[in-house]
Amino acid sequence: MTRPGMSWATAWRIARRDLHARFRGLRLLLVCLFLGTGALAAIGTLTSAIERELESNGRQFLGGDLQIELWQRGLTAEERTALEQYGVVSSGTRMQAMARVDAKAAPIELKAVDAAYPLYGDLVLSDGRTVGPPAQGEAWLAPGAADRLGVAPGDTILIGTETVRVGGLIADEPDRLGEGFQLGPTIIVDEDLPRRAGLIAPGSMYQSKTRVRFAGTPDPADVADELKDRYPDAGFDIDTAERAAPGTDRFVDRMGEFLTLVGLAALVIAGIGIGGGVTSYLDARRQGIATLKILGATSRDIARIYALQITAATLAGSFAGMAAGVALVPLLARALDGLLPVSAGLVIAPGPLLLALAYGLLVALVFAAPPLLRARHYPAMALMRARVAPLARDRAALVVVGGGLSAIVALALLTAEQPMLSGGFLAGAAVLLGLLALLGLGIRNLAASLPRPRNPIARNALANLHRPGSSTGALVTALGFGLSAFVLLAAVQSAIDGNIEKRVPAQAPDYFVLDIPRDRVTDFEAIIRDADPQANWRTVPAMRGSVLAFGPQNAMTRTSDLEEIPDGAWPLRGERGLTYADQVPEGNTVTKGQWWGPAYAGEPLVSIDEEFAEAAGLEIGDMLTFGVLGVEKEARIASYRRIDWESMGFNYVFVLSPNALADVPHNLAGTIELSDGTPTAPLLQALVGAFPSASVIEVGGVLGQARIILEQVGLATLAAASVAVLAGLAVLLGAIAAARAARTYDTVVLRVLGADRRQILTMQLIEYAVLAAALAIVALAVGSFTGWLVITQLFEFDWLPDWGVVLAVLGIGLAVVLAFAIGASLPLLRAKPAQALRAL
Amino acid sequence: MTTSQAAISARNLTLTLGSDAAPVEILRGIDLEIAQGETVALLGPSGSGKSSLMAVLSGLERASGGKLTVAGQDFAAMDEDALAHARRGHIGIVLQAFHLLPTMTALENVATPMELSGETDAQERARAELEAVGLGHRLDHYPQQLSGGEQQRVAIARAIASRPELIFADEPTGNLDAATGHEIVELLFARRAETGATLLVITHDPELAEHCERVLTLGDGRIATDTRA
Repeated sequence: MTRPGMSWATAWRIARRDLHARFRGLRLLLVCLFLGTGALAAIGTLTSAIERELESNGRQFLGGDLQIELWQRGLTAEERTALEQYGVVSSGTRMQAMARVDAKAAPIELKAVDAAYPLYGDLVLSDGRTVGPPAQGEAWLAPGAADRLGVAPGDTILIGTETVRVGGLIADEPDRLGEGFQLGPTIIVDEDLPRRAGLIAPGSMYQSKTRVRFAGTPDPADVADELKDRYPDAGFDIDTAERAAPGTDRFVDRMGEFLTLVGLAALVIAGIGIGGGVTSYLDARRQGIATLKILGATSRDIARIYALQITAATLAGSFAGMAAGVALVPLLARALDGLLPVSAGLVIAPGPLLLALAYGLLVALVFAAPPLLRARHYPAMALMRARVAPLARDRAALVVVGGGLSAIVALALLTAEQPMLSGGFLAGAAVLLGLLALLGLGIRNLAASLPRPRNPIARNALANLHRPGSSTGALVTALGFGLSAFVLLAAVQSAIDGNIEKRVPAQAPDYFVLDIPRDRVTDFEAIIRDADPQANWRTVPAMRGSVLAFGPQNAMTRTSDLEEIPDGAWPLRGERGLTYADQVPEGNTVTKGQWWGPAYAGEPLVSIDEEFAEAAGLEIGDMLTFGVLGVEKEARIASYRRIDWESMGFNYVFVLSPNALADVPHNLAGTIELSDGTPTAPLLQALVGAFPSASVIEVGGVLGQARIILEQVGLATLAAASVAVLAGLAVLLGAIAAARAARTYDTVVLRVLGADRRQILTMQLIEYAVLAAALAIVALAVGSFTGWLVITQLFEFDWLPDWGVVLAVLGIGLAVVLAFAIGASLPLLRAKPAQALRAL
Repeated sequence: MTTSQAAISARNLTLTLGSDAAPVEILRGIDLEIAQGETVALLGPSGSGKSSLMAVLSGLERASGGKLTVAGQDFAAMDEDALAHARRGHIGIVLQAFHLLPTMTALENVATPMELSGETDAQERARAELEAVGLGHRLDHYPQQLSGGEQQRVAIARAIASRPELIFADEPTGNLDAATGHEIVELLFARRAETGATLLVITHDPELAEHCERVLTLGDGRIATDTRA
């Protein structure tokens, strides 16, 4: 006769009753889900907020639907006419310049705009006025420029040779984000000011930006393609509103990829914790389950009761995680202020939240199902049986786990920006889990095959590693992931610090000076000598040009024909700095080919960076065609150079023989390194006074900005990776707590037999020391490899970890493990043997 | 009988458990002298404090008050670890649920208390003791491979192998059927007789109590009767 099963309502009533009393047992499940879901919710919400912001404000950030950038020239009349057929066109220029007031001078970003500016958004001044471009003779100053010069609206300042009145202070510059990295505060002037002030002359370093607001709704990408097809060699650098802030885009992409990996890592680690948490929770309920069975509950009833409990805890953990994730986004946005186009307000993005919830539920299903289904089979006679008797695996679990895993993989691949990356990571995590399982098995087998020590404490410690129902497998997995997270965090952080140190050198020139007229180089040198006779300086010819074609003389490839720029061949993209020289530049070494001698007058030659040569597949003797100020210049590759990019000076991928470029109108750029303690203000003033069209960049300020950006990246990485480390810690704690439960019996019996507390602690330490030592090596390998992937492949930084720091952090991780192990034993050691015996 | 000859000497022994707010008095002033080599049965209804008295006398629990000397050592003045050391080699304990270590063989289980006291011939003595309790052929078996009766024999061997001055047994036949229980009682008393140890056994079993020279009855945390055979 079959008996109808327990209804869900009855199951819930029993589940709730038990849950009230024993909710603490599910803490590990809660914490793991909280961390996993929280990380995913935060990452998803942040990414969604950025995308939403870029989507809704992309045109405003860019200042148009489409923008064409050019160096050292504006659009020709024909090019402009071609652009005007798409809608309203606004043009302007950007350049480094100096602004002066009496004795004060400040490097600024000069932004000259026409009457149509801004095409999108509003330019708002601090007095509340919404304005367009300033009138001739007026300027809008960013507050930083006004502070630096000590001026207020109504005062006058000197830019180049022109005096302008401060018309107002900028409160909101709508296209600020699209302007990118700046070397000084902005001053907005009318379109013609650079020319009137003598800042634009043949050879001057400036950039023109021409934007269009479409009249209809053409696809910006199609328009960009049309323009490139029509003017393949014009050197257009075209941006569209979807890619309003290319620097930000790239950063967001890389951060997004990194954060996705962190989310998946947190998820995998959380899963391990969930599995461990549910196993120990149900193990602790063995007697309760057996009693329920004695009272008539079927296996299905048991599964229902505990499935309901675990589902309740899963939902509680997931919802708390989602709430924490949403709350975290404003904090992240604040930490990344200036790097990301996200306002620091609360964002509720249902899509990413639902995705995080789905992941949380699926992971809980996959990792909780095996112990739950196994628990159905706890026999009623368990009350009478030895507590260590293991249960057979439940085949139904394979179906549930397989289905859940497939759903997770499908979800990860379908929702990932880069399915390959996510897929690769999940595959890597699966391989790692498999390897750790094998390692756990290996340790168990090794412990079982070792001769049994005569010392009972060592014998029991060793036996704990391989006994039936031992937690070695769970501990190995938890320690493996937990310690790897420690190593990863240390490796990534120290590598970022290393990059900051490397890229922001201690030894750097004090000033860069742009647009020094080449016929006045002796005046320039005289001014520096006057200010500091010990100063070092260097000047180089500076111009910009794009590579129009490259390759063997009779089979050159047009750059515009490339579908995609090859990896590492970035100098083919857009316009690049060009120079010429008689001598091999300072800090460069010729690695192949010959350098031309002084006063060389033969065929125009070029020396190129060896890494670029390799990336672009170029050989000595191949040709390069440059577009410089609208003129094509051809040169044969004579040599490769190794460039020390870390030296903060002039480093050019392309250095040509002087006869190749000397006829191109150009100015010089210079570096100045002052001896310690030289006052800088008089030099700055003398330079600006003598060279009104030149601009001086203070390297200290640039380095400071670079450092801030890298430190923000480091902070974001730290915050994100901390989630994985926290999840790892929670799992470690859970695994140790679960292991402690299994050890309680032995510990109590040993104490009854006369073992003292020191001996019991020694037993724990031997066991964990063996595991931790084995896992430390695995963690070092796994954490370092993952760190290398993150640093070199995602951030494209150099792999510069500080191994001392990495080993120290791993040491701290091991100490934490041992401290947890000891901490977990303390309650048992404090209890009197008689009390502990009663509790068995 | 003088105190110097006593295996156990207790004066006004008290044990109070629970919180300060809700203390429960388990033992309410026990005065007891047990001579060396004496066999004593401790009887009493459930909750009368039998197991607690045994826990205090064997050093598993510290008394809340009173004086207690066991095997010549002042238990009242000892901390947990000192009590653990005092148990080694001096006191053997047999528990109702056997409480063998599941990760150790029968031989290792028996050797463990002697090894804890640093005795170098622990394994040899353990082997001899297991042979004496009839388990010479089960030396390398794990507890889960042994029957209940065999497990209790291992527990008796473990308690006796170190030749302790005192053996405590808490319901040693409680988890066994009548026939096996009878065998175990015979074995326990035979082994005790051979070693001359003092034996205190908690039981509900009148047959077991009849084996003892003295029967104590506990009621409400006090010794209600003290009968000598």
